[in-house]
Amino acid sequence: MARSLKKGPYIDYRLDNKVIAMNESGKKSVIKTWSRRSMISPDFVGHTFAVHNGNKFIPVYVTENMVGHKLGEFAPTRNFRGHIAKKDKGKR
Amino acid sequence: MTKEDCFELGKITKTHGVKGEVILWLDVDFPEDYEEMDSVFLEVRGELVPFFMDSYQLRGNRAIVKFEDCDTFEKAEELLNLQAFLPLEILPELEGEQFYYHEVIGFQVIDEKLGPLGLVQTVYAMQAQDLLVMSYQNKEVLIPVDPEIVLGADKEAQTLQVNLPEGLLDVYLND
Repeated sequence: MARSLKKGPYIDYRLDNKVIAMNESGKKSVIKTWSRRSMISPDFVGHTFAVHNGNKFIPVYVTENMVGHKLGEFAPTRNFRGHIAKKDKGKR
Repeated sequence: MTKEDCFELGKITKTHGVKGEVILWLDVDFPEDYEEMDSVFLEVRGELVPFFMDSYQLRGNRAIVKFEDCDTFEKAEELLNLQAFLPLEILPELEGEQFYYHEVIGFQVIDEKLGPLGLVQTVYAMQAQDLLVMSYQNKEVLIPVDPEIVLGADKEAQTLQVNLPEGLLDVYLND
């Protein structure tokens, strides 16, 4: 069942406070978090979060298309060791 | 032809219809670059075997393929989950600071502020954001691949320019 709209999105208050403080100071350092359930708000865009996956921290650089998703979606807990073969991918 | 000389194009995911056609899922950034193909290598029991196509229709990042001598559902079923490869030489040369992931393995990572760091060990392809793995001070450091962070590669000097977010190294070094 979806979360009630009345409540608004869930964001861990400590995490939210850190982001707000960083946005005010203009700093952009990596924020370590275990709060995988926090939803990514538009304020998070451009910040890098080190999201714990139960074993280690996975860095997540937040872009606009991640807004509305949860941080945990970007730090998989399983099958992480999927080694990339030579692929026609990653043209940067 | 060995895997060393090839790149992974995709995988056969499903059969299509009952006349031996299969769905080839293309795991590439730009499937439209593969609008015309007449053969691929499929990995059968560890060996790359060339398979020639009778027909090939690209739809998004999936292609409906009919291979030669594969005209029944049962024969198509045998091809399920086989990985498809193409020779590396058909990849177009990238210009400027663009790179393919397999090219940057072993490159020296150079940060704009911190200078030379470690070597690229591998790249993990994740659904949302790919991760570059760098060895630094005997630790594994993960770097998100985003144009804001990974700025470009110098293939001649074998270096990768990055602009690491402040504190990223500390996350791994103090772990």
